[in-house]
Amino acid sequence: MKNKKLQKILDAILIPVLAILSGLVLMGIMIALTGKPVWESYGVLFSKAFGCEKASNCAIVTTLERATPIILTGLSAVVAFRSGLFSIGQEGQYLMASIAAGWLGYNIHLPNGVHQSVILVACMAVGAAYGFIPGVLKVKLGVNELLSTIVLNSIATLIIEYMVQFPMRADVSTTAHSPIIDETAQLPIFMPGSKWGVGFIIAVVAVILVFIYLWKTKSGYEQRMAGQSKRFALYGGVPSDKAAIRAMIISGALAGLAGAVEVMGVHRRIMTGFSTGLGFDGVTAAILGQTHPFGVFIVAILFAGLKLGAQLGLQLKLGIPRELGATIIGFIILFVAASKFYEGAIDSVRSWFTKSKKVKAKGGGD
Amino acid sequence: MALALEMKGITKYFSSTDVQANDNVNLTVEAGEVLALVGENGAGKTTLMNILYGLIKPDSGEIFINGEKVQIGHPDDAIKNGIGMVHQHFKLVPSFTVAQNIILGMEPNKAGFLSPKEENKVVKELADKFNLPVDPKAQIRDLPVGMQQRVEILKVLLREAKILILDEPTAVLTPQEVKELMDVVRQLAKMGYSVIFITHKLIEVMEVADKVSVMRAGKNVGNKKVSDTNIPDLARMMVGREVLLRVKKDTIQRGKPVFEAKDVSVSDVHGLAAISHVSFNVHEGEIVGLAGVSGNGQTELVEVISGMRPLDGGNLYLNEQDITQANVRDRRNAGVAHIPEDRMEVGLNLQTNLDENLIISRYNQSEFSKFGFLLGKSISRFAETVVKSFSIAAAKPGEDISMLSGGNLQKVVVGRELSGQPSFIIANQPTRGLDVGSIEFVHKTLIEERDRGAGVLLVSVELEEIMALADRILVLFRGQIQGELDAKTATEEEVGILMAGGKLSDLQTNQAKSGKESK
Ligand SMILES: Nc1ncnc2c1ncn2[C@@H]1O[C@H](COP(=O)(O)OP(=O)(O)O)[C@@H](O)[C@H]1O
Ligand SMILES: [Mg+2]
Repeated sequence: MKNKKLQKILDAILIPVLAILSGLVLMGIMIALTGKPVWESYGVLFSKAFGCEKASNCAIVTTLERATPIILTGLSAVVAFRSGLFSIGQEGQYLMASIAAGWLGYNIHLPNGVHQSVILVACMAVGAAYGFIPGVLKVKLGVNELLSTIVLNSIATLIIEYMVQFPMRADVSTTAHSPIIDETAQLPIFMPGSKWGVGFIIAVVAVILVFIYLWKTKSGYEQRMAGQSKRFALYGGVPSDKAAIRAMIISGALAGLAGAVEVMGVHRRIMTGFSTGLGFDGVTAAILGQTHPFGVFIVAILFAGLKLGAQLGLQLKLGIPRELGATIIGFIILFVAASKFYEGAIDSVRSWFTKSKKVKAKGGGD
Repeated sequence: MALALEMKGITKYFSSTDVQANDNVNLTVEAGEVLALVGENGAGKTTLMNILYGLIKPDSGEIFINGEKVQIGHPDDAIKNGIGMVHQHFKLVPSFTVAQNIILGMEPNKAGFLSPKEENKVVKELADKFNLPVDPKAQIRDLPVGMQQRVEILKVLLREAKILILDEPTAVLTPQEVKELMDVVRQLAKMGYSVIFITHKLIEVMEVADKVSVMRAGKNVGNKKVSDTNIPDLARMMVGREVLLRVKKDTIQRGKPVFEAKDVSVSDVHGLAAISHVSFNVHEGEIVGLAGVSGNGQTELVEVISGMRPLDGGNLYLNEQDITQANVRDRRNAGVAHIPEDRMEVGLNLQTNLDENLIISRYNQSEFSKFGFLLGKSISRFAETVVKSFSIAAAKPGEDISMLSGGNLQKVVVGRELSGQPSFIIANQPTRGLDVGSIEFVHKTLIEERDRGAGVLLVSVELEEIMALADRILVLFRGQIQGELDAKTATEEEVGILMAGGKLSDLQTNQAKSGKESK
């Protein structure tokens, strides 16, 4: 029984791991083609992503900081996907919540602890509301959630740009940004010199809660059943429409949380060009992470590390464009999509494995 | 003369499911011979044929064609050796024409495709040669299943197969199409082809085959000449024990009405009337058989009764309560059980494990959830109970069900629906696609439920099944009840006449006529 579970987990991570390895090999080939040192590149990429040069200056800390919003938007995508909704509205929900965080951060003044809590809750509410819209459109009018969330994403990008340029703009001289939020609105940081802090704890707690919600509660069960088979849910009497709307609300709240954490823990304000695609990174992390909260957690960290390593290591140290990092991620996604490619190999390895085990077991018994 | 095909000691173990799918299997076919390969679902028939066709690599075993040992590692090798396979699920391109599908992959040279005219001509000649008329220009998606199957067979014949494998070819066909297929198979045998015909319907074995090989749990448990065996004998070999082909049923006193439909009308997905003004009831301790050719409104009627589809007019009552407006969950809580016709898409969720499948209609009950949390322990205890009381040996609590055979999947559905003493059971085609052992199980269980006092509405297109189980027979024709018969006195002929839209009076006049003639 235990073994079967372990086997299942291994099965689940095998394909992403193989895909990432293939992506890295491909990266090596591309670097070799540009005439740069291949092995050194790997080394630099990893040390700048996960290494520790000095005890006070660990790359992994920055990687974890960067992974935090991706974990949260990834969880948002997991909740939607598991409920049968292909919502990619994470970016929009994240941006709308960021506006709320930025605004509440300097417009209301509350004691330390209370202020942050109020903003976190408000951001989740804003994200949830922005997720509720495509949910209702889907259930009541049959509007495809993929299309509606794309539109809502564009709208949110425009709104945040407007807010930064006009109503919330701090001064007219430099690039547009909103005022710095109150100290009482900021999330504590673990180590000076990085922005890794309480936001990461929030993300870890969210991973665990989403797992419990989806697999251990009645509501999560309803959402998964409706997501996997509409006909089966109808047949069994599952209220699918309610489940879908609930899924979009929770998905939105999680993406909203990502916005809160980014603003309160990292940027402390919103500025022009705030949308950097963290929502889409979450979608990717969800897909690579087998739409599982734990998978998302691991993939988000790898992801953030790869980006950081490409930026700090490959670009700054070796002069290889950091876009290569993004290219590798693109390839990895491609490899996951082509996972059939690995299945044959996995199968033969496994049957060889179990056969040798069987032989051993038989030998021992005789 | 050398055998057309000999398979020796074929062995295959699937590690992912821990199944010994083929265990030292031997099989022989001569030229011009039809071999029926029978066995329950999961016996390993398809695996054996996939090995022969080069789709699966056996762990050990040898294959001889015309006495010569061959290596088949890929379907191309199989085709080179004159082996062709028509799979259980067809592999045609729906948007291509018949001719395009048949020729696909055999275009004369890489650069040039055949012109449509030439293609059609090739196919026409082929069809004439084998007396298998098809329209080369028709699109696959417009063709009935029987015709699609014919295209698959032609495809194989064009590749000059001498040994044809047909994997459960009759499972998807109407009785008329089955008859046509049988004729085709016999004709091919006469022309010198060898046919391996997989089925678990024993009647078909007796009709079409010369020889029969029986498989059970991966082993080859019998090879016989059809003339030397009979259906009960084969059923016993298949299942490994004595099987009741017709279950025993005592007459019991029925109780008060448990379900009633009054003047019910329903439209189908296109908004056309599927059921119009239908009224009937089902009593406690009674099996009402709803007979009819498929497509006469059965699907819609069952969906309305179970609450999955809204009705256009009329009322439904359960134990004298009006349930017309009640949703699925309320109806289920009130004691309705539903064995749906489509167990793969409707009755089960193959993407999740046994436990989650078993609680779909009861996860809201306090036994299985509290304060919004699922009670994992009681759920797996329940799963264990269902597995035990319905002896679903292959299913294990907490594990996936997607690899279970059709019979075991149906046992899961039946186990779930009949646990908890429902008062009214809708069983829609409950034995479709099942093998004899599983059919016996489902029939026995339904009769036990009736004896316990439940009312059962049995919807079936199998006349045999209605005759065996029902206490009262209703015949559905074009969305209306064409007639009602007492099962004790009804004959198959009478039900057949009603199913075809006739009236019982027709039968009487016919009989009177033939009576006169014979005088
Ligand atoms: N590709 C596969 N991987 C793992 N198990 C399989 C596979 N194909 C078949 N099986 C298992 O092997 C057994 C035999 O299956 P099959 O040959 O399809 O039986 P049949 O055609 O007689 O119904 C079943 O228990 C089935 O679950
Ligand atoms: Mg099969």
